[in-house]
Amino acid sequence: MAIRRQSAILGLLLAPATLFLGVFFLLPLLIIALFSFLTPGLYGGVEWSFYHWNYGRIFGWADGIMEVFEPVYLRILWRSLSFAALTVLVTLLLCYPVAFWVSRLPERSRLFFLFLITLPFFSSLIVRLYAWLLILKPTGFLNSALMGLGLIAQPLEILYTPTAVVLGMVYVMVPFMFLPLYAAVDNLDRAQVEASMDLGANRVQTFLKVVLPQTLPGIMGGAVIVFIPSVGNFIVPDILGGAKGLMIGNLVEQQFLSARNWPFGSALSMVIMSVVLTVLLVAVTRARKTGAGHA
Amino acid sequence: MRNPWGWAALTGFSLLFFVFIYAPLFVIVGYSFNSNPVNMMIWERFTLDWYTGLFGLTERVMDPNSRAAYIESTDQMIAALKTSLTVAAFTTTIATVLGTATAIALARYRFRLRGFYNGFLMLPMMMPDIVLGIGLLIFFVTLGMQLSMLTIVIGHCTFLTSYVFIIVQARIAGIDPALEEASADLGASEWVTLRKVLLPQLAPGILGGALLAFVISMDDLVITYFISGTGDTTLPVFIFGMIRRGVKPEINAIATLIILASVVIAAAGLWLRSRKTD
Repeated sequence: MAIRRQSAILGLLLAPATLFLGVFFLLPLLIIALFSFLTPGLYGGVEWSFYHWNYGRIFGWADGIMEVFEPVYLRILWRSLSFAALTVLVTLLLCYPVAFWVSRLPERSRLFFLFLITLPFFSSLIVRLYAWLLILKPTGFLNSALMGLGLIAQPLEILYTPTAVVLGMVYVMVPFMFLPLYAAVDNLDRAQVEASMDLGANRVQTFLKVVLPQTLPGIMGGAVIVFIPSVGNFIVPDILGGAKGLMIGNLVEQQFLSARNWPFGSALSMVIMSVVLTVLLVAVTRARKTGAGHA
Repeated sequence: MRNPWGWAALTGFSLLFFVFIYAPLFVIVGYSFNSNPVNMMIWERFTLDWYTGLFGLTERVMDPNSRAAYIESTDQMIAALKTSLTVAAFTTTIATVLGTATAIALARYRFRLRGFYNGFLMLPMMMPDIVLGIGLLIFFVTLGMQLSMLTIVIGHCTFLTSYVFIIVQARIAGIDPALEEASADLGASEWVTLRKVLLPQLAPGILGGALLAFVISMDDLVITYFISGTGDTTLPVFIFGMIRRGVKPEINAIATLIILASVVIAAAGLWLRSRKTD
């Protein structure tokens, strides 16, 4: 690696991005932090005075009243976390075997299936979600097909349920889980797997002692990449989820675009942001500890 | 895999996986040609009405009164597409310059804040869209900036700089600095070495980053949703609004056209990449 002296050119390379991201990325984040401690105005807007009940409200106490504990928002936060975790789990279970399969294919078909898995990256998120709206509707594709086959008499009610939300998130997140997993599986030392089998370990032992530890960086990488956009997601629950599928992202959106309570919305965003930063921090420290930085 | 049954099961599972990914898209395409406007899930007969209707060419059979409104929404859709393309073009240019410059700085220079910059440049990509979207919304409104195409471009550039940075950085990692060292030894200035030696080698990576930035900018929904004003709407936000108002067969036609466009772009990207690495 060429190591050059610090120079004017270094400044020239760094200055534009530093300035741009400083103003349009860091500053907005700081403003969210500031707004989360301001008093919501009566008719939208804010009053510039310190107010900590935005957070109080999230954690279960209505503005200024300590006696009434009603954890509506905590429940929604918990639901968001568990939906995101479930999305990670399902995408992992789907992608892990497929990553193995693809990595064992001959060159040409391997490239073909890798192309198929990256194609959704280029296609529209909203279109892909809309497809599930068509499929899951009471009069939709799935119900028409199942009723046509005589398998069910009444349409299944999947749309506007938590199942639909998790299904939609799994669908849009699958490529993000697949690629890091595939990279890890592809790097797997097959000689070690064979050695383990030859030395008498059975499949389960070989998987747990050889395959899993070697692919763990890929699993962790995929989990982080899927978990983060899932937690704050509001498009998927907006289109596929009903009241029971409401996530914290929807709450934020409501505060900004209909309820016009920006300070409360900012406080909710701060919660999303701290969840994300915690996950990132844990992931980075873990990756450093195991010395596997390629996830 | 020594066990043939195990391999067969794995193959079956994997093929089902790909059906799961692609079947929904084929459902849209199929129903975009279905003439049944009441229950679009029951096949009636083949039609191109939804496509021609999309461009204001046919009167709607069901409700003749809706024709005027429909042509208006066609204009809105075309306007949204134009906005999307303009935003994506500006965003791609800016984000590619910013991302490439920082990637070069971090790969080829040693300086005290290098570690900080590495994290700092990844962060916009990892930040959930909704947080970035509302952050920018409050920021623009507090500053009294009118929400417009400009604010959308700014919003897109923040996180797309990260994407370009990562793609270009990966490319630089594979480039041997020996050529640049030779160039410097032979008396070329730092700037000339950068421009004439490093940049040409980086071109495929920069192009890849730019292509990704363009595609993501065209597709961004959440951030644009918060910072697009009442005037300028991008295509994804327009479609989101349409879907929220209810499922209409015309959406199938738009969606099919978008799927077609993305397949073409992805294939072009793949072709470009395979050509460059040969």
